Amino acid sequence: MSQEKAEGLEEESSILIWLTGFAFIAAMAAIFLFVPTEKTEGPIQRIMYLHIPSAWLSFFAFFIVFISSILFLWKKEREWDIYAYASAEIGVIFCSLVLITGPIWAKPIWGTWWVWDARLTSTLILWLIYVAYLMLRAQTEPGSMRARYAAVLGIVGFLNIPFIHFSVLWWRTFHPQPKVISSEGFGKGMDPSMLTTLGISLGAFTLLYFLLMGQRVRQEKLKDEIDRLKREKIYSS
Amino acid sequence: MDNFGFLFAANAFVWGGIIYFIYTLKQRNRELEKDVELLKEAISKESR
Repeated sequence: MSQEKAEGLEEESSILIWLTGFAFIAAMAAIFLFVPTEKTEGPIQRIMYLHIPSAWLSFFAFFIVFISSILFLWKKEREWDIYAYASAEIGVIFCSLVLITGPIWAKPIWGTWWVWDARLTSTLILWLIYVAYLMLRAQTEPGSMRARYAAVLGIVGFLNIPFIHFSVLWWRTFHPQPKVISSEGFGKGMDPSMLTTLGISLGAFTLLYFLLMGQRVRQEKLKDEIDRLKREKIYSS
Repeated sequence: MDNFGFLFAANAFVWGGIIYFIYTLKQRNRELEKDVELLKEAISKESR
């Protein structure tokens, strides 16, 4: 990588760090200072502003895995495999946060940490699929076969996401029905101040995704560079 | 219904998770950058 290009990337990265930082400060201010306390659930309802954006980020990350995996199988370029792997790891972390914050929210509201309803179970299955994806990558030899198997799993795993979205409409579940994208129209099922706060939080988490993705992709590229240099060192000695 | 403990726990998990992930990412990238530099140095020494 040329010095100029590296400096350019560093500058872009620091702009993104600042933007993400400001977005999170704004989100926290909106969550704890701006938005009114919900009448029936009380302050605990504020978990929603972390729970939904974590879910959004993990679904978005798995969507990138899906697209990158298709592009990898089509074009056979290592670049797409890197994007898929990096995004899967971020997706699993935020899906874990969804599965942690959900029960913390559920316990005082439903009186139980967990119920085996369609939304919760399908989200757990999604998490297990992408944990399997990461395990597959960790346990098999690097190479095109590993990338190909992972790509297939990355594509198949994503097919669970529409099922998760519609599960609350298809079955009677403990989990509430969608409030933002609902049958009444976009954002109609929610107070405008709540919708604004959720929007700010969603924006902050989306910026965080790009920030993390940049760092994670860089890590994979550095690993490739080390492998290349090691080979070069063996040939030169 | 207050349940501030639950709200605190959820925030602690989310923020703890995000900060830990960023920290490990930065740490690992720093180590890898160091390895790249060392390897480049070793190759340039050998080629002299």
